[in-house]
Amino acid sequence: MAGIVGVLAFDKVWDVTKFVYYGTLGLQHRGYSYSGLSTLNEGFSTLRERRAPEDVEEDSLAQLHGWAGVGYSGNTEGIPVEGKEAVMVYDGVIKGDLPSIADSIARDPERALAELRGSASLIVLTKDGRMIGYKDDYGIKPLQMGGFGFDLAILASESSAFNVLGGEMTKELEPGEMVIIDVYGVQTKQVKEPRRAYCAIDIVYQSRIDSKVFGLDVYDVRVRIGEALAEERPINGDVVIGVPDTAIPYAIGYSRKLGLRLDLGFTRTGSPIRTMLAKDDFLKVVGVQLKLNPIKSSVKGKKVVLIDDSMVTGNTLKNTVFNLRRLGAKEVHVLIGSPKLISACPYGMEVPDSKELIAANLSDEEIAKVIGADSIYWLSVEGLKKAIGHSHLCLGCMTKVYPKVI
Amino acid sequence: MKVLLVGDGARENALADALANSPKGYRVFAVSSYVNPGIKEAVERTGGTYYIGKPTDPESVRQVIKAVNPDFGVIGPEDPLFNGVADEFRKEGIPVVGASKNCSTIEKSKVWMRELMWKYGIPGRLRFRAFSSVEEAAEFIKEYGGSVAVKPAEQVGGKGVKVVADLQAYLSKEKRIALSKGVSAIGSYAKGSVKIIIEEKVDGPEYTLHVLSDGNVTLPLPLAQDYKHAYLHSIGPETGGMGSISGPGKLLPFITDEEYERSYDIVRRTIQAIEDTFKEKYVGVISGQMMLTGLWGPTIIEYYSRLGDPEASAIIPRIKSDFGEVLELTATGHLAKAKLEVEEAPSVVRAVAPRGYPLNKEMASNKRIWLDLPKMRELGCKVYFGSVALEGNSLVTKGSRALELVAVQPFEEADKTLNKCFSLVSSEIPLIYRRDIGITIAEQVEKAEIVRFTYKNREARGLLGVSADWSPQGGLW
Ligand SMILES: Nc1ncnc2c1ncn2[C@@H]1O[C@H](COP(=O)(O)OP(=O)(O)O)[C@@H](O)[C@H]1O
Ligand SMILES: [Mg+2]
Repeated sequence: MAGIVGVLAFDKVWDVTKFVYYGTLGLQHRGYSYSGLSTLNEGFSTLRERRAPEDVEEDSLAQLHGWAGVGYSGNTEGIPVEGKEAVMVYDGVIKGDLPSIADSIARDPERALAELRGSASLIVLTKDGRMIGYKDDYGIKPLQMGGFGFDLAILASESSAFNVLGGEMTKELEPGEMVIIDVYGVQTKQVKEPRRAYCAIDIVYQSRIDSKVFGLDVYDVRVRIGEALAEERPINGDVVIGVPDTAIPYAIGYSRKLGLRLDLGFTRTGSPIRTMLAKDDFLKVVGVQLKLNPIKSSVKGKKVVLIDDSMVTGNTLKNTVFNLRRLGAKEVHVLIGSPKLISACPYGMEVPDSKELIAANLSDEEIAKVIGADSIYWLSVEGLKKAIGHSHLCLGCMTKVYPKVI
Repeated sequence: MKVLLVGDGARENALADALANSPKGYRVFAVSSYVNPGIKEAVERTGGTYYIGKPTDPESVRQVIKAVNPDFGVIGPEDPLFNGVADEFRKEGIPVVGASKNCSTIEKSKVWMRELMWKYGIPGRLRFRAFSSVEEAAEFIKEYGGSVAVKPAEQVGGKGVKVVADLQAYLSKEKRIALSKGVSAIGSYAKGSVKIIIEEKVDGPEYTLHVLSDGNVTLPLPLAQDYKHAYLHSIGPETGGMGSISGPGKLLPFITDEEYERSYDIVRRTIQAIEDTFKEKYVGVISGQMMLTGLWGPTIIEYYSRLGDPEASAIIPRIKSDFGEVLELTATGHLAKAKLEVEEAPSVVRAVAPRGYPLNKEMASNKRIWLDLPKMRELGCKVYFGSVALEGNSLVTKGSRALELVAVQPFEEADKTLNKCFSLVSSEIPLIYRRDIGITIAEQVEKAEIVRFTYKNREARGLLGVSADWSPQGGLW
């Protein structure tokens, strides 16, 4: 799980360090245990830290300076990867010796990328000033390109990074497409036939709701997921509540479709990232935050429809349901805006093994009992495809059908 | 009848074709600074003579005028106009399509243009500051708030403009430092005493409205849109334009009839203001390079005193009636008689430039290119020659956009046709060719829709054009 960004200036009067840094900040919802930046002047300067971009001290950026750079925010240590001729950031899984892979991409991009093992989107910045972006043929992870005025070229995982920089995203790379950007041009090349298996988790909860990924407006898709839930499982509740932040658009779609009242059910203590102590890495992405304090007036004496985006162990949801009851909720019906998670992700999304996934182990009634809900329902796989509008998806963690062997 | 065409690029190639194809049977004479193969063909086909001289130099052009004694003239580029080449024609009593030296100030000086718009209260004007000192401009950039466009104070052919969106407080310093460092380079393009113009930045889709003026009557041409970024997907440095689209009909898919009429009104009012200032008729082409913005709706970014290049290549092939004759009627003051029939189908133009353009002229110059012209034409593609010279039997690049490929077809078809055409071009240097031009219509329709909400609302509240920026150090501007 990661957000990656690359920035290249067409005029060397620019110092892009802060652009790269704020780019990673605009992507840290994609994973933030580690952050890293490399900038290019004559050679590379690199900073790697074991904390989220937002916790990186301003001062440590002062040692960086350059007219091009790459940045990383994610859950893997040691990125940017530094070779002799290039640095590399990636989102996904790459097999092999990473520094020498970065170098071979710098030397013969097309060939090295055709031979790449794993599944990833990546950005390589070479010492001679080429920025190479690639999304593997299954396109599981997003990667987009665009610019800032006449001055900067930008590559980034999600359009939120472009928004944060004040730039404009103009193109999502096709699966299997490579782009090489240098001062004298932008060239794209289809290195492999596109296979199209976009990560469903990226769309349903990892990406930011102001983003566009895989050509989809994330917010719209999530509202449609709420509507799909309403069609599949209409519940005549007194109030619909979404767990912040990701599940709120689901709740909006659900309540709108059924003409039910929507209320804010929670407020948060502390920043969504800083207060994160959970062991369960997956929970970090999902954004179900530790300190969600329920609001009594929204739930007291009511039949509550509570919508969340996913369920891993069920512990967080159990807490949430318990808190709602403590404040006087009459009934709590839980809806999950994605199909059941039943299997691990081999492509870098931190979905734990089956044995840690409640939905892989218990029946619906048992789960309802565990979390203390009156009922529970998951969005169907068909409903998800319908809300997204196509079925070019990787649904491995929900169906155990994996598109790519790595 | 003899016509003398001045200039040497792809736009002039398109003009030469229109004149040579006219049923009026013009003999086309031309003066260029190098042998443009496309112009050469039009000249030879009609029994004219091709002169190699200095189109930008009135003296050099006068000699050609004397030698040819044409019935009328057509001037393509802006530099001859700025230097008074149109005035040379008129001194000899020869009607010409081309603004006088005075009238071309509307393009030459971006500062004069803005002052004129404010003085005459013409809609679509922007706030601006003019600077004679680069240091003061740099200081201004550092101290004042808001998003800005920083440009050379004069027309320098599509270079030097920096546009900086500065809504992100956390990056403000970075952006302003880079910009103030870049200012001396921007200022160095301007030859006059005023070096830099800084304008408030606006947003929205861009388009150009070209208007012919014979001194009494005006005739608007179909809209076109130019693509400024050098590289694919609107990335990269500013250029003279890497391609354009026009149509369908007289509009573009993202501009309404009402917006077209307003744009036309702005240009007409500007013509009047120019004529009023110089007590001179405006005879030639005037083009509003516009943006549809939330601030005003139709807004002037700059004016051309000629046809845009590559816009001309998108417009001229779409004119079904005799455009050669329309040029004659413009020159001779009979535009009222002109008929303009426009093809309903749109057009897409994509330029082909050698790698190195626009940042490294040396790298982009003196490279040989090859093309299979008959086959390209067979595919339904027009080819206009730009910055490429016929030297012996070879085509050699001159450092700028070498070719403009044109297809008059629905956008998706044009995309395919042009890609096939481009595959028939080769070179000893990699070529820049923006495959994305003409295929981003939906995005632009959405952009236009967004700014339309804003400007319609402003209009209803009487707030069109009202804006300001403030910063603690700099104050209000
Ligand atoms: N005030 C402005 N706000 C936003 N963009 C601008 C502004 N002025 C110029 N631009 C952008 O810069 C480009 C070039 O500016 P322009 O004034 O047309 O100069 P040039 O003579 O180089 O064509 C425009 O096409 C537009 O994209
Ligand atoms: Mg311009």
